[in-house]
Parts: sequence; structure tokens; C-alpha cells
Amino acid sequence: MPLLEVSDLSVRFDTDDGPVHAVDRMAFTLDEGEVLGIVGESGCGKSVTCMSLVRLLPETATISGRALFDGTDLLALSPRRLQRVRGREISFVFQEPMTSLNPVFTVERQIGEVLRRHLGLSRRAARKRALELLRLVRIPAPERRLDEYPHQLSGGMRQRVMIAMALACDPKVLVADEPTTALDVTIQAGILDLMRDVSERLGTAVILITHNLGVVADLADRVVVMYAGRKAEEAAALELFAHPQHPYTIGLLGAIPRPAAGERPERLQEIPGRVPSLRELPVGCAFADRCPRADERTRTNVPQLAEVRPEHLVACFHPGENGAG
Amino acid sequence: MSAVDTASLTSPRARRRIILRKRFLRRPMAVAGLVVVVGLTIVAIFAPWIAPYKAGATDFNALLAHSSSKHLLGTDFLGRDELSRLIWGARASMQAGFFATVLAMVIAVPIGLVAGYYRGWVDTVIARLTDVLLAFPFLILAVGLSAILGPSLLNATLALGIGAAPALIRVARGETLALREEDYVPAAIANGASDATIIFKHILPNMTSTLLVQATVTIPLAIVGEAVLSFLGLGVQPPAPSWGTMLQDAQSYLSQAPRLAVYPGLAIVVAALAFNVLGDGLRDIFDPRTTR
Repeated sequence: MPLLEVSDLSVRFDTDDGPVHAVDRMAFTLDEGEVLGIVGESGCGKSVTCMSLVRLLPETATISGRALFDGTDLLALSPRRLQRVRGREISFVFQEPMTSLNPVFTVERQIGEVLRRHLGLSRRAARKRALELLRLVRIPAPERRLDEYPHQLSGGMRQRVMIAMALACDPKVLVADEPTTALDVTIQAGILDLMRDVSERLGTAVILITHNLGVVADLADRVVVMYAGRKAEEAAALELFAHPQHPYTIGLLGAIPRPAAGERPERLQEIPGRVPSLRELPVGCAFADRCPRADERTRTNVPQLAEVRPEHLVACFHPGENGAG
Repeated sequence: MSAVDTASLTSPRARRRIILRKRFLRRPMAVAGLVVVVGLTIVAIFAPWIAPYKAGATDFNALLAHSSSKHLLGTDFLGRDELSRLIWGARASMQAGFFATVLAMVIAVPIGLVAGYYRGWVDTVIARLTDVLLAFPFLILAVGLSAILGPSLLNATLALGIGAAPALIRVARGETLALREEDYVPAAIANGASDATIIFKHILPNMTSTLLVQATVTIPLAIVGEAVLSFLGLGVQPPAPSWGTMLQDAQSYLSQAPRLAVYPGLAIVVAALAFNVLGDGLRDIFDPRTTR
């Protein structure tokens, strides 16, 4: 049985301009110790999908569906029980390490607060554990960092502290929402190394949300590609990169820069057009307007997920690896 | 060893304190304000030992007397030593100033936090009620309240505290509205923090410097307010000394002994001014945009 089994998950935001369907009948599973990559452009619903699991969304959001975690449906939990899941069983690392730490508390207090809340540790035990955690996330001079304030740490170090906080209670699932986007490229590699190391050593399952396929290739065992709130494609990472089926996935892969030695770099392939507004999704396939393979059927019908290759799901009427379809 | 070297050896907390102290010392007005505030506080606390005479002690050989070695600032119409009464009067003023401000904070900060954090109808109700109260000038509100409560120093303090609360509610609410949008709030929620934890452990500590500055602005208001209420007979009751009652007493003898009005008037001005310049200084040094 998978650790987390999400099915039929829909999220609707009620805005002044009418409802916005941010996530539409999403489904995925996560096994223990697995690293699942969720990929897509900004606004495709990847963050909303994960945040809806422990209800981190504003009150305007309506969530429906099921999210079985260890046998209990997260979406049916009371707010109190949910507080004990957040940060204890499922924890988050966000994109903004510069501002996600409270400026008036030392590193020790930030990490200690989580430990004392969820594990009921004493102040002294919490300090000891916080030190261990800082070592785990490979922060240099951890003893000194404990007493420092966030403004004294660099962006990379703050993100390491955030990861230490997220791992403090040894959660079963770590959701990393664009954990490296706000960091320098040189620092990104270090953080990704750390994430891989941590998931292997602690056996924590990781959901990695990113728009960067390179990051996914590096870390993920399995990949879900989302487009306009729906799942477009899902496969094991190697399979997806070797045999992409959905024209959107193919477009994303084409947009990765691949400089080759001695050659003049080719122009990057972009995907023409823009993401449709979630407020007025087209009747048919949401990708139809930007798709080279679109035809009449695409514009009038929504493609359903189908297994085109073993363990490889695609929602497309014309799946296939090359442009012809 | 230079100052920078010493700083790098100490803990971050101590280092921040050193920076704040340096910034503070670079502001002579604020330092002067602090000196006066500390001086007044000492005078108020140790009045029985400092004052040459008891507040009510009369000297019928020296009615409305001028300054002399016996009575440094002269005496009033009952022959009471003016300096001693000023010193005893500082007690009432400082008491009213501090306790009214503490009371206002205790009332206003939780209300402001709740309104700003939960928003929605709770906030609407609180904010509109606050607006209604703010429509009354502070002194009018305090006069009205102490008229209802009855005349005494305690009731005057209560009235001033309640009267000062609406402005503080507005400040606390505004700060909370801004602070709840900080990224560390959703981060704390994602880590399983309850509403109470977020409000009191994450938001409140981030507004302490604002509240401290606000307190130094509220104290002089309350000091002046106490004087006004006592002057009007709603605060300290004669013969008990207060700068307000002293002004009231002086009124009848303005033509013969105008100094009797000048001394308590000056005391009120100096006290209020000291708190205000101290508050200005604190606001400057806590402002992250300040570089000096």
C-alpha cells in the first residue's frame, strides 16, 4: 500500500470574478522513501495540490477528493488533528528561505519550537537535537549557528535551516516546493545533494515541486507533469525523459538548454502561446491552443489518462515521441 | 582592540544591543529625554525621602512666601512647601502615566492582534468600534469616563487607560495585518503551529519595538491627562498633591503669585516633552532604515 494515495483531488478558489479551478481531479501516489517530482509551469496547480493536502490554502479554497495517508483521509481530518500532521508527519520546505524564518528568533528557537510542540522535548533536549539537525543538513560551525539570527545567515544556509526544521520530527513526507529557485546556481546543487542524501539516509518520501526538469532528472524516481490543474503525464523519471509522450512534456524537454562543446548553441525551443486562464478553461484539451498536434477532437473533448506504455500514463489524443503523433 | 573586534567576539544578541546603544547615544535629545524620565521616576519612587517637607505640611508663618532657604520654591496659599508638593505630585503623574499606559496595552494589544489576525467580521466589528471611539478626542473621552467612574487617582488612571486604548488597538491591528503576511507565518502553520502560537509567539515579538515606541508616546498623553483631570477635580482630590491640583490651587492667586502656576506647568511640560523626545529617539534607532 502506498504511503500517500491522492485521488480525485480538486481545488476551487472562489474569487470575486467567479470560481477558479486550480486543481482538477488530480491523482497520484507516493511510496515510502520515494522521490516524486511534480513539474509544470507557474500556476499549473502543483503547489496548490500539495498545500491542499494539509489545508494550507486560504479560506476561499474548496477542496474535494481523497488523500489517504497511512490509512486516514487527510481531507477529512479535524483542524486540530491536522495540526499534528503538519510538520510532524508531512512537512514543507518553501521557496523563500530569505523570509520564511522569523527574524526575531535564533536558529535554535526556530527549530526548537517545532521539536517542543510535536515531540514535547525539554529546552535542553531540543537544543541537542537542533544541533544534530544542523549537522545533518551540513551547516558549517553548527554550534555557533544555533545562537545566530536569520539575518546573519546566507540564503543557502537559511534554506538548510528550513530543511532542518522540516526534518526535525522525522516526518514521513517532505514536500519541497521549489526549494532551490530562490538560490544561486552554485548553492542549488548543494541543496539538491542534501535533499537526495537526506531522503536516502532517513528514508523520507519527498514530493519535489519544481518547474526545472533538470532538478527532477537529478532527484526524482517518478515524475508527474501537470498542466492547467490537470495531470498531463506520469511515468518513472528515466522512462519520461527517454520516451516523453505528451506534446507538452516534449515541449518542456525541448526548452532545456543543452550546450554542446565546440558547437554554436542552438536556439532554445519555446512552447508557443500561453497557459489558458483557469477561470475559462477551454472545452477540450487545455493544451490544444498551443499544441502542434491539435485537431477537431482535441478542441471539443477532454483527453483521459491512458497507459500508453508500461507504467506510463498520458492524457492526450495523439501521444507519441515525435511530432507526427 | 577596536570596537569591531570586541563586537565580533560577543553573541549576536549582545552585538545588536551594542549597536542599538551606540545609535541611541548618538542622539543627544533622546539621551536627555531618558535622563529626565529616569530622574522623574526616581523622584516619584523616593518622594518621601527626597521631599524636604510632607506634602500637606503647612507653615502659617510663610503663606504665599517667595523662595527662601527654608522653602526653595516658596509656598502656596496654605504655606505648603511648593518644591515638596511638586515632588509628591510627580508620584501621581508618573503613576497615572505608567499604569494607564500598561492598562491601555493590556486592553489594546490582544484585541488588535485578534482583529488583525482573524480579519473577517471580528475585525470589522472591532475596527468600526475603534473608529467610533477615536472620533472622540482623547481628553474628552477620559473626562467622560472618569465622570462616570467617580473622582480619584485610581479612577482617573482607569479612564486614561481605557481612553488611550483605541489608538493602540489601531496600531496593534495594523502591525498584525502587515506581519501576518510575512512568509514565516505560513511556514509556521505548515509546521503545525496553532493560531495562539502564531499570534503570541510569532507576530507579537515582531511588534515589540513598535509597541515600546507607542508606549513612550502614550505615557506623556496620560501624564497631561492626569493633570487635566485633577485640575478639573476628576482626578487626585485635594489636599493630596498633584501637578493638576496645584494648577487648580494656583488659579485663584494668579495675580499675586503667578509662580505657583508656572512650577507645576513647567513640570508637566518637561515630563511630557522628555517622554516624547525619548520616544522619537527610540523610534529612530529601531527603524531598520536608520544607518546612523
